[in-house]
Amino acid sequence: MKIKLTVNGLIYERDCAENKTLLRFLREDLGLTGTKEGCGMGECGACTVILNGHAVNSCMVLAVETDGAVIHTIEGEANGPSLSDIQKAFERNHAVQCGFCTPGMVMSIKELLAEKPKPDVAEIKEAVEGNFCRCTGYTQIVEAVMDLTGNPEKKGELKHV
Amino acid sequence: MFYEFRYLAPRTVAELTDALDQHRDDGKFLAGGTDLIPNIRNGVMKPKFVIDGKKVPDSNRISFSERDGLIIGPAATINDVLRSRDARDSYPILCGCAHELASHQIRNRATVAGNVVNASPCSDMAPALLCLGARAVIRSKAGERTVPFTEFFAGVKKTVLKPGEYLASIVIPSESRNARGTYLKLKRIAGHDLGIVGVLMVRHGDSIRFGVSSAAPTPVLVESVTLKDSPDEAARKVLASVSPISDVRGTKEYREHMIGVYVRRLLAEVK
Amino acid sequence: MFEDIKPADLSYVGKKAGRPDMVEKLTGEAMFVSDMELPGMLHAQLKKSPYARARIKHIDTTKAASMPGVRAVVIGDELDYHIGLYIVDKYILAKGEVRHYGEAVAAVAAETLEQARAAVEAIEVEYEPLPPVLHHMDALKPDAPLVHPDLGTYSFVAAAFTPKPGTNVANHTKLRKGDVEKGFEQSEYIVEREYSCPSVQHVPMETHVAIVQWGMGDKITIWTSAQSPFTVRNLFCNAFKLPHINVRVQVPYVGGGFGGKAGIGVEPLCAVLSRKANGKPVKFQASREEEFSLLPCRSALTYHIKTGVSADGKIIAQKMTMYWDAGAYADYAVNVTRASGYSAAGPYEIPNASVDAYTIYTNKPYGTAYRGFGHVEFHWAVERHMELIASAIGMDPLEFRLKNALRPGSKTLTGEEILTSTGNVVKCINEAARMIDYGTLTPAEQAREKQTGWKIGKGVAALHKAPAMPSFTATAVVLKMNEDGSVLVNIALTDYGQGTYASIRQIVAERLGFSIDKIKVAFENDTDRDPYDWQTVASKGLIMSGNAAILAAEDLLKNAYAVAAEALRANPRDLGHDGDKVFVRHHPALSVKFSAMAVGLAMPNGNGIGGPLIGVGRYIAQGLSNLDKETGEGNPALDWTYGAHGMIVEVNEATGEYHVLKVGSVYDVGRAINPEIVRGQAIGGMMQGLGTAICEGYIYDQQGRLLNPSFTDNKIPTSKDLPMEIECAVVETPQIDGPYGARGVGEHSMISVAAALGNAIQKATGAEIMHMPMRFEDVWRSMRNKEPVDNWITKSPFGSCRSAPEMHRHE
Repeated sequence: MKIKLTVNGLIYERDCAENKTLLRFLREDLGLTGTKEGCGMGECGACTVILNGHAVNSCMVLAVETDGAVIHTIEGEANGPSLSDIQKAFERNHAVQCGFCTPGMVMSIKELLAEKPKPDVAEIKEAVEGNFCRCTGYTQIVEAVMDLTGNPEKKGELKHV
Repeated sequence: MFYEFRYLAPRTVAELTDALDQHRDDGKFLAGGTDLIPNIRNGVMKPKFVIDGKKVPDSNRISFSERDGLIIGPAATINDVLRSRDARDSYPILCGCAHELASHQIRNRATVAGNVVNASPCSDMAPALLCLGARAVIRSKAGERTVPFTEFFAGVKKTVLKPGEYLASIVIPSESRNARGTYLKLKRIAGHDLGIVGVLMVRHGDSIRFGVSSAAPTPVLVESVTLKDSPDEAARKVLASVSPISDVRGTKEYREHMIGVYVRRLLAEVK
Repeated sequence: MFEDIKPADLSYVGKKAGRPDMVEKLTGEAMFVSDMELPGMLHAQLKKSPYARARIKHIDTTKAASMPGVRAVVIGDELDYHIGLYIVDKYILAKGEVRHYGEAVAAVAAETLEQARAAVEAIEVEYEPLPPVLHHMDALKPDAPLVHPDLGTYSFVAAAFTPKPGTNVANHTKLRKGDVEKGFEQSEYIVEREYSCPSVQHVPMETHVAIVQWGMGDKITIWTSAQSPFTVRNLFCNAFKLPHINVRVQVPYVGGGFGGKAGIGVEPLCAVLSRKANGKPVKFQASREEEFSLLPCRSALTYHIKTGVSADGKIIAQKMTMYWDAGAYADYAVNVTRASGYSAAGPYEIPNASVDAYTIYTNKPYGTAYRGFGHVEFHWAVERHMELIASAIGMDPLEFRLKNALRPGSKTLTGEEILTSTGNVVKCINEAARMIDYGTLTPAEQAREKQTGWKIGKGVAALHKAPAMPSFTATAVVLKMNEDGSVLVNIALTDYGQGTYASIRQIVAERLGFSIDKIKVAFENDTDRDPYDWQTVASKGLIMSGNAAILAAEDLLKNAYAVAAEALRANPRDLGHDGDKVFVRHHPALSVKFSAMAVGLAMPNGNGIGGPLIGVGRYIAQGLSNLDKETGEGNPALDWTYGAHGMIVEVNEATGEYHVLKVGSVYDVGRAINPEIVRGQAIGGMMQGLGTAICEGYIYDQQGRLLNPSFTDNKIPTSKDLPMEIECAVVETPQIDGPYGARGVGEHSMISVAAALGNAIQKATGAEIMHMPMRFEDVWRSMRNKEPVDNWITKSPFGSCRSAPEMHRHE
């Protein structure tokens, strides 16, 4: 089925299998492998992209549903040669370890900040509740968003005894 | 995905009902996809046609009027409810249940209609619709019929929808606007999880209703509790109406205990 | 090495430093094997057993083989390769018999994933189901079915392991120190208890995935999401009887490992498919469900501890019996037995000890290395046991721990003497206790209790671990200077998220005296390019590769000085250097730039001297010894990292629900090379520890089918499951033979978290929980002294915690 959609500001026209998920379409048909598959069932959030302004699990969206849609993935996050503010904050705060959950995590944060520029800690945690991270224990990710949004709550440091 | 199917995207209600009628045996309605697509992936469902209801204009509309109450369209998502001024202002109970459903990403796609048509005993929206006296407007090529949600659920993952029908809107009466209540959902973790048990209590004037999820083959409405009942009596009445089982999430014994705890706690709050 | 340099004299080590591999992960540019596609690549799918134990009577692949796009179908009978890390007991595909639910029985490679899947569904397998043995305690009974009737014919590493043919015991590790029975006679109190925990999954966010190309002339290229490229190559060559130069293993970015990717995984499967498909590359990526059942998990454990204590609370004797559930294959589980054996008592002095650690085969998905290598599982028992002893003898649990903790002069279970430089567990325990105001409720906490009605409890737990590795484990690091004077580091230690590369970079920059911006650690690993490293496990990466990096830096400088000495006509001893150049110390104007020497120095007249500047550092574990097979005596430990957690929990006594209010964790890391990365490991491991404590665990039915093979019912912690407050601290007792005094800490943050939680819950409510996980219902049951819910083998869901209901209890 022919579909035409905008991904990261670029228009793509493709003939796509009707039973293909948006996740696989992005990765295989468009070569945008930044979005990952972690479970295929909408539990882990590794496949999170922004679809018409909302963070969704792309493993549960059919590509053909997105005809005419506007999509943002991790590949469109940076501003040309510079990292975006979210990406810079993640880097400053060591919010990345293995990196597999990172693209989905950034997309969830992106929607959060579009709706709530100054989220409190509870709101940050809720925004990424559907993004599993097995490596970081989430704290440095939350701190990255706190850092980015000027949240006055104190961040942690490693103490030397 | 592994199973092949054709995708249809009707643009009008007439096209939609035609498609549903034509494919009454080999088609499935696609709303948010958060249940249908995993089911296809796992081989639990193998439709030959998937009929997208979202391309019909206004299908995700949520509107309120004094006369009709809150009308939720067939493709309105859980987050559409949480973002709706009308829903937040007038039906906080609906929002309270919506907030407990899965994760943010899922709430951006999952529809209220889909959640109840799926008829999982764990449905978070069903207790609200039951307690708020909501009605299901069911549409097909043949026309429309309205069924109160108290008659909507027929068994485990079964509703009264017949092949060719779809849930065209959910209507929550205007009178339910002043209902107040709280939904308590017991999970295994603080993060998103299916409920071990869920108990909603709604008070409207002097009447009390309980909506219980994950405790019976279907979501259950209990109307027999009154404000005069003692906490123990209330718990007894609610427990008499449900039939929890033991499974990997919890034992029957613990579920019964927690339902009792929740009923007592909710009743104490409202008294 | 350099353990005594003061922080003020260091430029990079111990300071905040960036982490070089974050950018490409943040942009999506980082390529994982799951993202890779090769021309002509085929996709593999597997036929898996629905039975825990069955004879394979017949497999019909004729229909599958002729389906569209199918290029290879393979079944077990075609293959005669045996694989195994320590006991060679596994086939690539089940042959003759399936030994666990989810085991692969046949494999298909086709042009698309869908075609492969359709072909798999067309494969017909006729099974004769056999009664499985599911609980490891039942597997010990004389009439238990044998998971490996041919155990006696398998080859194995005899120096370390003792399998018992004719039984389900894959290994029995023994340790005998002093005289345990005499010790019991001298004891005032004897406390005996049994503790247990189920299998759990590593849950790396990227599931196991590999691409293998079996090229002409048996030249094989492997791309794999793995922790140990050289182990993949070695085991692969052993299994297929190929020379090492035929096989190349490449590891790009890896989406988490946690031990599950430490050994060999799906590579042999892809290999045989590729070979059958005339050398086309074949990719297999496990689905999440396959990750839970086909790929290995962490072994379940039943740990029986009997302790004799003096009247004043000193441990005199301890008899420890561990029963490890290996599942269907021994894999790493036998080594977990051995490693846990010598570590079994926790960081405490036990003058008279006996340990018997058994690895037991059962018909379930098999256990492999998991963060902590047994230490998370047995510290659950040890640290709960310490708590229960203390409450039994009327002593404060903190005081009891401090009284018995290892100190300089103490002897471990294997007879190793603890020195001051070993580390300071007492300080860790005291600091953890201080972090939570142990032993008292603050006014704020009292007010909270009043307001919520939930009881607050506080507990501490201690931990220790040494790397579990061969006594002669070695590694090497190569530094290569680029034309512009920057330095490339080649290393086969992998970085699958833990951040060791950032620390290596800091160490190299420090030792070279170069700006850190000039140092690059090549991220992807390649056995054709990188110098050998054993495995990226065991928390030995930083200490061993860090040392090797220092030696490589010194080698590079030595080579540069030799060239500079010739160019400047100076004695190398009189030379110095900075980040750009080598100069004569007493005539600094006489200098030569590193960049000029980098690939060979050209003298003014055109003569060339020197050559490409390369530094090689190799480091081998020193002075470690085999353990005596009877007494366990010996020196197995490269280093010991100690730690402790303090935990504050509030519990709803009516329901068993609880919240973790605070976790304070302390580790003696020697020196925190990169404090933020240490903190990241500390918190990440702590959350993984909370997961195993609160909600994780495999649940089986009586037929051995896994009832929770997906995230729906195999929950892991989310962002909302964070404790209200987290505090992390490090003690820095320098490790004399560690790089700048550092020790590893990658695994330790997960150890004893569950026990600390169990101790805190007990303090709050009196509930004595001896099995993990502690679900709300488990807490509720324990508070009411009800029968616990069996996590492992459930009828639906009741069953005894100690054995499957229809069979007799193990006595």
